[in-house]
Amino acid sequence: MDKGLARYLINEINLMATEEIKIMEVCGTHTQMISKLGLRSLLAPKIKLLSGPGCPVCVTDERYIDRAIEMIKKYDVTIATFGDMIRVGGMEGSLLEAKGKGRDVRIIYSPLDLIKMAEENRDRNIVFLGIGFETTAPVIALTIKTAAERGIENLFCLTAIKLMPPILDYILKQPSHNVGGLICPGHVATIKGSDYFRFIGVDYCIPAAVCGFEASDILIGIHYLVKQIRQNKKAAFKNLYRRYVRSQGNPIANQLIEDVFKVSCGVWRGIGRVENSTLDLNEKYARFDAKQVFAVEEKSIKSTSCECKDILLGNRTPKECKLFAQLCNPVKPYGPCMISSEGACAIAYRYREEI
Amino acid sequence: MEQIVNLRHGDGGKYTNLLIREIFYKHFDNKLLVNSQDASVFEVKQGKLAFTTDSFVVKPLIFPGGDIGKLAVCGTINDLATAGAKPLYLSCGVIIEEGFELSLLEKIAESMGETCRKTGVSIITGDTKVVEKGSIDGLYINTSGIGVVQGEYCPKPVCEGDRIIITGGIAEHGTAIASERYQIEVQGDLQSDCMSLNKLVERIEKYMDRIKLMKDPTRGGLATALNEIAELSRLGIHLLEECIPIKKEVESVNQLLGLEPIYLACEGRMILVVDEECETILEEIRQCDGCEDAAIIGSFVNNGIRPMVFMETYIGGRRIIGSLEGEMLPRIC
Ligand code: SF4
Repeated sequence: MDKGLARYLINEINLMATEEIKIMEVCGTHTQMISKLGLRSLLAPKIKLLSGPGCPVCVTDERYIDRAIEMIKKYDVTIATFGDMIRVGGMEGSLLEAKGKGRDVRIIYSPLDLIKMAEENRDRNIVFLGIGFETTAPVIALTIKTAAERGIENLFCLTAIKLMPPILDYILKQPSHNVGGLICPGHVATIKGSDYFRFIGVDYCIPAAVCGFEASDILIGIHYLVKQIRQNKKAAFKNLYRRYVRSQGNPIANQLIEDVFKVSCGVWRGIGRVENSTLDLNEKYARFDAKQVFAVEEKSIKSTSCECKDILLGNRTPKECKLFAQLCNPVKPYGPCMISSEGACAIAYRYREEI
Repeated sequence: MEQIVNLRHGDGGKYTNLLIREIFYKHFDNKLLVNSQDASVFEVKQGKLAFTTDSFVVKPLIFPGGDIGKLAVCGTINDLATAGAKPLYLSCGVIIEEGFELSLLEKIAESMGETCRKTGVSIITGDTKVVEKGSIDGLYINTSGIGVVQGEYCPKPVCEGDRIIITGGIAEHGTAIASERYQIEVQGDLQSDCMSLNKLVERIEKYMDRIKLMKDPTRGGLATALNEIAELSRLGIHLLEECIPIKKEVESVNQLLGLEPIYLACEGRMILVVDEECETILEEIRQCDGCEDAAIIGSFVNNGIRPMVFMETYIGGRRIIGSLEGEMLPRIC
């Protein structure tokens, strides 16, 4: 990005910041980019940038991990998962600990690798931990469809794919929420379209913008939001990421999601049940549903002293957690926000800004 | 000869001999090695010697821009080079998994031999072990090296205002490995920077009295190496993001995977700490093959607090660059 333009935008934003303005982003990549640019050190202290529930690992409920571990114990399945998930603890320990005890836990980088894995290990039942947001849903759907077409019988999916609008509803319905403007996740919007986020202005009178991930995208987004707030245009909404985001999104990806999944009630770590906030396999693909095929008992939840819930809801910043960087760090993480490299606490730790 | 390595090749008898002769002697070819018994004997001039060892367990064994063999030779040569030493002799110990393809072993040995010839060093002693299938992952190599310390070089105290030079683009090795491991196909030029640095050190020998420190940013990358230097010098380091040389391909692969190039290994780069008048040294470095992109990337500051590395980002923001903690994994979303 042109340094001059950056300086101009920052200056403009700071001039407008005569009162406290809180802006939330809900995508791990935005969280990371803001920290990586050292943006907070450039913006006036009155501009507060908050991170919401944008990390797929952080929002995954403890019981989900326990369920996976139970499946290994009871049915001796192979668990295939994205890397970061392996370290997150449920109440019964983490998958890494299970792996250490000789259980078959494998890390994959793309769901499509599962097809090969299933074909090469016909004698093993493989359960894939399908987590993520609207962004990972199409490729998981494609994997399941491919498995069905090829008649693969030993691949199953334990889904916990989260949807953005319901959790945003949840946050913005809290009377205490202090979100003044919202940077909408560009990746989710690429799939679902910018219209997917229009409700923020309409229902909650909070200006919102779909933003990309370059320095200029983010600065232009913040500039836009601060300006709308100052001018009291509370229902303003804009797609500032037109290079990739269409108003209706990607039709092929959405068709895949529609073919394979159905919307149901989701459970978010530290937050609990949120209606219509998750994607489950639909009836046509029920035979791939690990929950149904490998039934296990559900454990109840113990509470921890981690403040991840408040981090995920944007009520607090990582630095406001008393464990941050003291008892809780990436080598000895306390909560999922520090374990996952996409978590707000891990990012805040990695790109510390105070000098 | 058979197609794969089996346990017989490691029993010390006829087959071991065959393996050593037809693969290692053939490619490492030098009198000291071939004539040696249990130890090689050589003469040295008077002066200071440098001695180092390193083990190599890289996966995949062959990657764009190199292979485990080239890496094992360059790695040890570079460790000697950072001590200002001209490398003389190397040792090479290989541990091979039963079932390893002989043709691949030969390819790796050939690459070691070639790298040695290019840099003017010889492998004069070695050892081969074959272990049961499943007990290691393919092939491990250990190399040790002896070199003679040249001219005036010795590490000197670093002062406020001293400059930091990196001799080329960062993170190329780490990114090449990551792109192979996570199967990202890259169009354009993405290769490991794996190369020996002894020629570079020879070239800048005349400036040794002004070079305060040399370090190769291997595991943990530039960030980790600079943190060690800051700790050692008890000074802060002010880096300028826009000055750090990085190839476009490297940047995009890292963006795609969600990795941080500043923490990824270089295998053919050197960090030099020099005094403020470093332009002539920089020019000299740039004349060296593979160092065309060398740049001054920052300087030492006395920030009064604890020694740390901080970066001025290209839009003017500031953030702390810590050492690598934990493992870096690709992003999910
Ligand atoms: S710093 Fe650690 S304990 Fe505190 S909220 Fe973040 S992850 Fe949880």
